[in-house]
Amino acid sequence: MIRLDSVSYAYPHTGKPALTGLSLTVGKGQCVMITGPSGAGKTTLCLASAGILAHEYGGKKEGAVTIDGRDVKSYKDLSDIASNLGIVFDDPEAQLIFTTVEEEILSALERRGLAVDEVEDRLRVIMEMTKLTTLKERAPHTLSGGQKQRLVLAVTLALGTGILILDEPTSELDEHGTNGILEILKGLKAQGRTILLVEHKFLRMRDLVDTLVVMEEGRIRAAGTPDEVISDPAMQKIVIPDFSGIRERTRSGGEIITPVPLVQVKGLSHTYGEDIHALYDIDLTISSGEFIAIVGENGSGKTTLIKHFNGLLKATCGSVFVKGKDAAKTTINRLAHDVGLVFQNPDHMFFADTVRDEVAFGVDNLGIPDRDEVIDHALMRVRLTHAKDLYPRWLSRGERQRLAIACVLAMKPAVIVLDEPTTGLDGKEAREVMEVLKELQLAGHTVIIVTHSREIARDCADRVITMESGKIISDVQAAGGRS
Amino acid sequence: MTEILQYVQKDSFLHRLAPLTKILFVIVVGMMSIVSTSIPFLVSVILVLLAIAFIAGLHREVLRQFFLIAVMSVILIIITVLTLPGGETLFVIGGIIPITTGGILIGVIMTLRFAVLITAIQLFVLSTQPRDLVHTLERLRVPVDYTLMFVIALRFIPTLQIEGTRIHEAQLARGYNPGSGIGGKIRSIAPVMVPLVSNSLARSNVLGLTIDLRGYRTKKRTPLRERHLLMLDYAVIALLFVVASAFIYLTLRLPVLQAW
Repeated sequence: MIRLDSVSYAYPHTGKPALTGLSLTVGKGQCVMITGPSGAGKTTLCLASAGILAHEYGGKKEGAVTIDGRDVKSYKDLSDIASNLGIVFDDPEAQLIFTTVEEEILSALERRGLAVDEVEDRLRVIMEMTKLTTLKERAPHTLSGGQKQRLVLAVTLALGTGILILDEPTSELDEHGTNGILEILKGLKAQGRTILLVEHKFLRMRDLVDTLVVMEEGRIRAAGTPDEVISDPAMQKIVIPDFSGIRERTRSGGEIITPVPLVQVKGLSHTYGEDIHALYDIDLTISSGEFIAIVGENGSGKTTLIKHFNGLLKATCGSVFVKGKDAAKTTINRLAHDVGLVFQNPDHMFFADTVRDEVAFGVDNLGIPDRDEVIDHALMRVRLTHAKDLYPRWLSRGERQRLAIACVLAMKPAVIVLDEPTTGLDGKEAREVMEVLKELQLAGHTVIIVTHSREIARDCADRVITMESGKIISDVQAAGGRS
Repeated sequence: MTEILQYVQKDSFLHRLAPLTKILFVIVVGMMSIVSTSIPFLVSVILVLLAIAFIAGLHREVLRQFFLIAVMSVILIIITVLTLPGGETLFVIGGIIPITTGGILIGVIMTLRFAVLITAIQLFVLSTQPRDLVHTLERLRVPVDYTLMFVIALRFIPTLQIEGTRIHEAQLARGYNPGSGIGGKIRSIAPVMVPLVSNSLARSNVLGLTIDLRGYRTKKRTPLRERHLLMLDYAVIALLFVVASAFIYLTLRLPVLQAW
């Protein structure tokens, strides 16, 4: 059981309150799901509940946290707490230290004071439960996102604790990976474990959740049974992403753009190294003004395909033409004028001191005229004008995602490609991003998104391309979409 | 992507050796190469190490590093020629820079020493599971923090490689063109290194918490799948002892191994 009693906390470097007067009880054997916008304090709540704030962090702390009836401060240190509670942080990469899956799990198991036989037994059971047995000799960094998440979960299970805290375990996973985690969590709940889960995928987790908590700005906005919480329309918007009506929007001006082909892919195949075939014989034409969703499981070739549009990858076979130019013979720098690519993790691009400078980087690289106007316009489009003098890494995940879009938008490419633009966002933020993208389409851009979300594909895109094992298996115009 | 300094799962004699034996091996080979200045000796040590790599099936990984060593040797020889002139002057470049046999010789010896050290350490790292290394050093009373620092530094090489590539691609997609050559490399530092370092720092926080939560600093370990010294280990240690003794004896008695 975890109990928080009017907990308030402010991080030492910002001084801004991250949690304010927060009270919450996670009863034994219960599953409590926390959701809310990025920057609402969900991760801080995890740290508070695990006693990590009390033991490892400075800053202003108020209120009390108890784990299994004992005040967290009465535990000797983190490893003492770890006999009652296990926590999985949101970045799996940072929690993997060793060179094989088996070693990684053993590293946690062998420090529990167990007998040799018991360690071997538990190792076998945990690997079966997390479906890692066949992967036991693989190096962690070679695993897929879903496998990595299962591994960090396995390591935490190795601690054998009754309480588990999981911070967004499925945010970067596709449907298949999410199901894998969900199955494990169901099994754990059936064993009577207490689970505190930070998640955005409420609909997928619904069967698991006893109490749903919505956080905003460090406070609990709503808490109760899932049905109670979502009966409030304002909460429902946050909990359940709703993209309805986005595709149907039309431009007020009403002038019609005549579609011309912008990206033409013919017989494209791509092979990594000698024998990893990522794409087979792809044929595809993308025209101006389209809004396309590319869907498919992890590893189906979606990201490999879009990297050909701006020349980051060159075709092994076949050809890609962008605005009539052969992508194989054009520099990436030149293609950046026509195709903008926003990667999944916005933190892979930020290096400037202010939001404005960050946007200016691409604009200056391409020598776009009317620099200042263009930058301000891009920030306005993504609704970040208020943040223009802030340090990019201080923004919330949702704001960083929109900043990444602004960086590419300001370069005025005809085609904007986005890889998983709604990762880690709540329903409301995800909708905001999709609305921004729709506005860009209406302003004349071609928008292509890679997504795991069926809802986004259904409600936002005019055309849905489904990929599987490096091939396009379906390419359909959405009903009601512009053909 | 080629992986640098990562454990390779195999069933070779080198993998079967206890980490302690391999640590002794690296120390003996390393000391000999640092003391000796004889080119034939250093070359034969490299050949022996390569033979070991072949027998252990690790030659592909080891030979890959020889390109790096070649690049390093050129830089080293240039530095020694410029800074340590000695012996006979072969010719003079532009009337100011003398190219001397002494400078070249020192450069070559330094290169060979590095080649020995790099190859020996590589054989050790490629064939030793970090878990076994942690246990061995723990028994030798090396504080676990230092051991984990070493293990984690190695473990994150591929992660940083992958992340560096991703960041580089993200900046290229923003029209970034640092140009080629040394100037380009220097210009490309900020846009790639700043995100790489910022992300790593954020990660190190979680990493530290993870280690604490696993009980590394405080808890006793279950003695599981321990690596004990086998007959093979005793044989290798005995051999190392003989080689080291012979080396010390010969170095003291035979000036051949000392001077050039």
